Order: sequence, then C-alpha cells, then structure tokens
Amino acid sequence: MSGLQTEPRMSAYLHARGAQMGFPVGGNFELTPRCNFSCPMCYVHKKDAHVEGELTAQQWISLAEQARDAGMLFALLTGGEPLVRKDFFQIYGAMKEMGLMVSLNSNGSLLSGKIRDKLLEDPPFRVNVSLYGGSEETYASMCGQPSFHDVVENVRALKEAGVDVRLNVSITPYNLADLGDIFRISRELGVHAKATAYMYPPIRLDGDRSHRLSPEEAAQAMVDWDLLRFEPEEFARRARAMKSCEAVEQRECAADLHEGVQCRAGSTSFWLCWDGRMLPCGMMPGPGTRPLEQGFQAAWQGLRDLTRQIRTPDKCASCPSRPVCCSCAAVCVTETGKTDGVPEYVCRMTSQQIARAWRAYEERSL
Amino acid sequence: MELRKRMIKRTIGGETFLVPVGRAVYESNGLYFLTEVGAFIWDLLPQARDEEELLAAVLESYEVEEDIARADISEFLGKLKEMAIL
Repeated sequence: MSGLQTEPRMSAYLHARGAQMGFPVGGNFELTPRCNFSCPMCYVHKKDAHVEGELTAQQWISLAEQARDAGMLFALLTGGEPLVRKDFFQIYGAMKEMGLMVSLNSNGSLLSGKIRDKLLEDPPFRVNVSLYGGSEETYASMCGQPSFHDVVENVRALKEAGVDVRLNVSITPYNLADLGDIFRISRELGVHAKATAYMYPPIRLDGDRSHRLSPEEAAQAMVDWDLLRFEPEEFARRARAMKSCEAVEQRECAADLHEGVQCRAGSTSFWLCWDGRMLPCGMMPGPGTRPLEQGFQAAWQGLRDLTRQIRTPDKCASCPSRPVCCSCAAVCVTETGKTDGVPEYVCRMTSQQIARAWRAYEERSL
Repeated sequence: MELRKRMIKRTIGGETFLVPVGRAVYESNGLYFLTEVGAFIWDLLPQARDEEELLAAVLESYEVEEDIARADISEFLGKLKEMAIL
C-alpha cells in the first residue's frame, strides 16, 4: 500500500515520461556570460564587470518557478562562470527551496572560502568542474590565470566534504601535453573525469576555429585518453567494437538514429541563455523562443515545435560509423551553419579515431 | 512526528518524489519515490503524534483492512527511520 524507494533510473524514466507528456524535466540556466577565465575555445566568456541584457536574479527565479511548475526537476546552473555573480546564492537558494535537483558547472577557481562554506550548507546535487590542465603554466596560457593549484585544492575540498564532483576536460592545443597529468590528478582526487577533444566552433562568440586540434590530432587525443583510462582488455574491446562500428558506450542522447535532434534538447530539456533566450542546446545559435516575453509555457511549447522541425543530414543517418560518431544537430550547425550540413571535421575525426584505436590495439597485441 | 531531514515533495508526471535539501543531500543525494498512500502519510507526518493517528487517517481516506494498513504504515515509517529521515 504505502512505500518509499530510491530509484537510480528515475532520471531516465522521468525523461521518457516528459517526452511522452511534453513537459521539461531538465533546464540549463546560463546565469551569466561573464567569466574570470578567458579560454579561447569557449563560446561565452565576457570580461566586463557588467553586461547589458544579463537577467536579474529575480528574473532567473521567476523563470525557474515557471519551469518547476511545468515539471522541471533537474536544473544546471552554468555560465560563463556562475559564481562571478554577486547574487549567485540568491538564485541558487531559491531554486533549492523549489525542490529542484540543482547542479553547478564551474571552472572551480572560486569554490573556496565563504563561497564554498555557503555552498556546503546546502550542497548541489552535483558540481561539474572543468579541469583545463596539469600545471600553472597551462592554466596561464589557456585560461589567462595560473589557477591550477586553487582548482585542484577546491575540488579536493568539495570531494572531502562529500559533494558529488565530476571533472570535465576539454582537450585543446593548449593542454594536449598535459593529458597524462590530468588523468593522474583525477585519479588522485578520486573524481571521475570526462574528456573530449571535440570542440564545437564557438559560433555564439566569434566562430574562431583556430583554438582546437585538427581532426587527426583530436582523434589521437581521444585514443590516448582511452589508453590512459582503460585496462588493456577494455581498450581492446572498445577498439574491436569501433572497428565494427558498434556503439562503445551508452549515449545519453541516441535513442535511435533518425534524422533530427536525437537527444533531450528541445524534447525534455531546454537551455536558457544569459540574455533570456530559450534554446534547445547552448551550443546552437537557434532556433529560440523568448520566455520573458511569451511566458515559460508558451516558450517551451514553441521550442518543442521548433526542435521537431530540425533535420540532420541524410548522410549521417545512414553512415556506418554513426554509432561511434559524436555528430548531432548542434555539431552540424556549428560546423556548417545548417543543421543538415555534413560536419566534415567530425567525419574525419571519427574515421581517424576508429583507425587509430585499432592501430594502438594491434601494436599492443603483438 | 519529527522529521530529521529536510525533504521537499514534488509531483511530476503523475509520480511523487522527495528531494533532499540542506545537509540531507550529503546522506541522501538522490530521489525517493513515494506511492500515493506514502505521499498521503508523508503530508501528515509533521502533525501526527503517533502511528495510531496515521492509521486513523489512512482508514478514513482509503478502503483498506486495518491490519494491512497498520503493517504498511509500520513498514513505511521503518524505511524512513532506516534512512534517518524520521
């Protein structure tokens, strides 16, 4: 009759329910475009103390309330660096009191002192910290600040306090040489690190592609990362799977490989930009709606309609490498300017990743 | 009955959950799913003095045998105690 149980798969269940019933389960709140770092490959890192058009705390809280009323459970606070907002805890505290499972994206440099103490009073569901390198020199060249030690110590302190922390690693020309150190640090911290060498062209900023690796270098970086993180047997299994074009890991997004948006973006999740536009995904420039003007529910329904109209390339849907490729509507539009444009960079990266993983496997099999 | 952890009840897509807040997140960083009657009892907990009060409320609102209701309430409260919520 009565009951209470924890359910680890509840998130997947809720997203399935949301897709069926049309309600948003997760929301990304890009609280500010401002950041104390200036990583060149990032699409939003303004240095100004004040940015015209940035939403007020009250506007964010109102949007979150409306999203909560529509069904949202998970909220990710991101930026820029969300902790540069002086009123961050006003927004964070209000969202926690709404019964939201709030997570935080941060570069980790400000997670100390009073900010950390305050956060630990009512910790987030998860903190995702971007780890940009393995030395002060790398941080200085990539982020504009020698914050390596601070970030590592802040992650360590959060972890020791019992917060669920994850590391996100963006592999670029600036930190490629640090890959081994980054992996070692993540192991020492006991924190899972997720790395990617695929960098979306930052078209919401300036579209400059010069701060990422070539497709071949990116493919090699992913193989090197896999060699670091997997035992030989697991690496071999994955290399064989990739060679056969089988999916090597469970993708959150790929329910089936049809033409169109395959992930939760615009289906059960939304991205609210710092200026109040609602997008399916933060990497995409559009299509978008305006919840401040339209009201949340109308903007959400509008976003779902717009997302359903997005088409991805026929060539991708029938490509044999599709199960191991990271292409999606956001990749296509950022690479080619249209969602049905074939992202040649990713085609090259994927084919090279398959070939190079196989080569590494064969070399180690001898 | 005194709750030892702060939990916020949410109903989404016809399902009811408890979301931990404050320091409860450290021990219960996840969702707790409540059945319909579990949610009914949850709402009564802060005002209820004992299990007998909960039983009376359940019997008044649901068509259920007293023995079954008593056992289920006891099981539900036991789980809450196990998780140091109650």
